[in-house]
Amino acid sequence: MTPDVTNAVLVALKVFILIGVGLYSIFAAIIVRQEQLMAAVLEESFEPVLRTLVIVHFAASVGLFLLALFLL
Amino acid sequence: MPTLFEAPQKAKSHKHVHAPHGQSKMRPLTSFAVNPDGIRFETQEAEEEVILFLRQHFIVNIPWIFIAIVFLIAPTVLLPLIFRSLPIHLPATYILVITLSWYVATAGFVLASFLHWYFNIYIVTNERIVDIDFQYLLFKRFSQAELERIQDISYSSSGIFATIFHYGNVYIQTAGAAPNIEFLAVPSPDKAVENIRSITESLPGAI
Repeated sequence: MTPDVTNAVLVALKVFILIGVGLYSIFAAIIVRQEQLMAAVLEESFEPVLRTLVIVHFAASVGLFLLALFLL
Repeated sequence: MPTLFEAPQKAKSHKHVHAPHGQSKMRPLTSFAVNPDGIRFETQEAEEEVILFLRQHFIVNIPWIFIAIVFLIAPTVLLPLIFRSLPIHLPATYILVITLSWYVATAGFVLASFLHWYFNIYIVTNERIVDIDFQYLLFKRFSQAELERIQDISYSSSGIFATIFHYGNVYIQTAGAAPNIEFLAVPSPDKAVENIRSITESLPGAI
């Protein structure tokens, strides 16, 4: 493939990855919100651990988006 | 117009039912607990006591755990094959971001599946039976039936896994417009039925 075509493919792939990871970050935010609502329904001792996990997951997805934005 | 008849106001009293003996300690993966400690649920009244706490048997999680393990192993086998088959050479940064995306998505799948299992719960109190369902993260259903409205309780256990791991479904039929409640894939369904029956039999007016 010519360098122009390769560059175009990489740019398209970058846009595709950014859209995908961006949408995934929204999904991760929904999980955080949903966990809060679920925790309001059932109060249990294990809940803080779950909350930490979903927040870490959301932070990881946002971090991944930023990584893709600046690295690609 | 003079009042001809006034129905006596029934004072709301909290029932003193015969709770099963013993107390179960709640652990993160507890699926069956009698008189559990340290647990409260939405709409629980001040004097309302949780007598029985149930969620689906942990074995129902095996399918998604298996899928998650496959997802964890897949990048080491699948992604190199995909990258090699591409007509262009991908830079290392792209490979890094795609691989990390795969693992974050796997973590999301695990979290969503676990939350779905963890917060789908069945509770029996000294007042009522409560069934709380969350489906697909965005749908919540809260069903309840007063203990007095329970007409019939039965359970079924079918299949190889259900027999080996001793879990099954509990069906609670209620009178009137109250919804019938089903406890799906709960551990020791016979004990659950026995406990609920002993509670309902101790209600005032029970036969």
